Amino acid sequence: MSLSSALETLANYRANNTRASLDTFKKGAQVLKANAVSKLGDDSWDFLEQLMLAAIDIGRIDIADACLKQLSDKFPGSQRVEILQGIRIEATGSSEIQLQYYVQLLKADPTNAAAWKRMISVLRRNGELAEAVEELTLYLDTFYSDLEGWLELADIYSSCNRYTLALQSLSHALLLSPQNPFTVLQFAETAYTAGDLPLALKMFLLVIDMDDESAAKEPPQGYNIRAWYGIKLCTRRLIQSPSLGASSSSKTPVPKSLNAIEELATEQVLVAFRNKRDAGTKLNRDVTTRWMAAF
Amino acid sequence: MAGSAVSLYLDPQIRDWVLFPITMVMILVGVLRHYVVLLLQSSPQQLSRRAIREQRALARSQILRATAAHSPVPPSFYSAISRHLSQAYEAGSYLKDGPPKGDAPVTPPNPMSDPAAMDGMMAGLKTQMVMMVPQMVIMGWINFFFQGFVLIKLPFPLTLGFKSMLQRGIETPDMDVRWVSSLSWYFLNFFGLNGLYRLILGNENSADSSSAMASPFAAQQGAVAAAPVQDFNKLFKAELENLEFAEGIYSWAGDNIENRVLRKYGKLANR
Repeated sequence: MSLSSALETLANYRANNTRASLDTFKKGAQVLKANAVSKLGDDSWDFLEQLMLAAIDIGRIDIADACLKQLSDKFPGSQRVEILQGIRIEATGSSEIQLQYYVQLLKADPTNAAAWKRMISVLRRNGELAEAVEELTLYLDTFYSDLEGWLELADIYSSCNRYTLALQSLSHALLLSPQNPFTVLQFAETAYTAGDLPLALKMFLLVIDMDDESAAKEPPQGYNIRAWYGIKLCTRRLIQSPSLGASSSSKTPVPKSLNAIEELATEQVLVAFRNKRDAGTKLNRDVTTRWMAAF
Repeated sequence: MAGSAVSLYLDPQIRDWVLFPITMVMILVGVLRHYVVLLLQSSPQQLSRRAIREQRALARSQILRATAAHSPVPPSFYSAISRHLSQAYEAGSYLKDGPPKGDAPVTPPNPMSDPAAMDGMMAGLKTQMVMMVPQMVIMGWINFFFQGFVLIKLPFPLTLGFKSMLQRGIETPDMDVRWVSSLSWYFLNFFGLNGLYRLILGNENSADSSSAMASPFAAQQGAVAAAPVQDFNKLFKAELENLEFAEGIYSWAGDNIENRVLRKYGKLANR
């Protein structure tokens, strides 16, 4: 592959935040070998950062160190390079050293959001969930509009079965990205796990409703299939034992047209696997049909 | 007329020892000033965590209100967040220095007593000084050494109205307007070198002082406007009302969603 096309792919990865580490590393090594780094101009620093992260991902610490050396020579005292240095330490250092490094960064500048977030992730990785949650709530209290932070908090809460708290974090995430169906889907699934079926059903329906009109004429795809499955699960359980509907902790009313929704969900889930010839889809279809028939 | 055109003889020495030095000095001083201003610019103030929190506290309710009319958040969660925010605004718990004391008199913060605001003003004044002082020195230098010098002759005729512009410092009613005096040459450079600086130093240079001269307090006003002293307590109290309004128009996107979806898939007759 020619150098220019490699550079183009790398720039593309950078723009889209793609984490194709092995590919990035191979192409990056090609650029390094061709001595083309200096020809990149201002882009060369972005390239070095990208190559360094990819090298750490695939365990080539030597290359990562070389990149980091160049970056820290060029930008001494830069916060971004300090974070890269921290990531490099995370790759090999013990958990105490990692934590120590970020604590020290935060002591120098208590508002260094990137270092703060990395420290929280180190805490979580070390299994110190209580500290991680404490730091994360403090972080989110300062930087409210960090969507990633709220999703992470919800994830931590979910992993400890604290679904009500997870739902509260997710509701902030919903406010921050009201247009993102994935957040809504996550909210719905968390509500389902928490046992709040009417709320889960409403949120699953919200996912479906977020697509535009034309989507209704085609078989559902991607996250929509998941949402239809969720609707099917909720309606089925609500129909089988109506008492579940009364146990909604968010006092969400159960829709009156449960049966119609259940029919529609069954139809949509089946449609999703119809008209496809490949073996995997056929297997899926059979499994789905059997699952549907079981009720 | 040909005789009057050469009635004055410009010594080439004037060109070499007056015209070029003045121009060079002005250009070099401009370049120097650019770098001095860069040196003087203090790095932006580090805000403390609490100050950032205070600044961003308003954004919370704005984010909540932004989607209130068609909110993705179920009612119980919405009212919990809304109540929490209004209580915090009411009690002032987002304020940098903690909730205000009950009996303390409510006064707007004085910019003179806030060290952060003072720093901003000082930075403006410092830049201003760097602009003014060299210009005064150069003008004094020209006035002292080259007063009354005629430096160049413009290659085109001009009307008498330009006399005060081109022959400042020479009080003769009879001389042709095309002759330019030293002080006027200084002013021409003063206002005209900006294009050259832009060529040498790039677009965002601070070498040109004529713009700062045009309104002597522009830099200072800019500094003050960039860091307004806000009374967050007052802003929070105002936001309280907005929150109440938003609660009035709140509706959950999940209300009647089942009918909407059924209608979308043609299972329910369109109303």
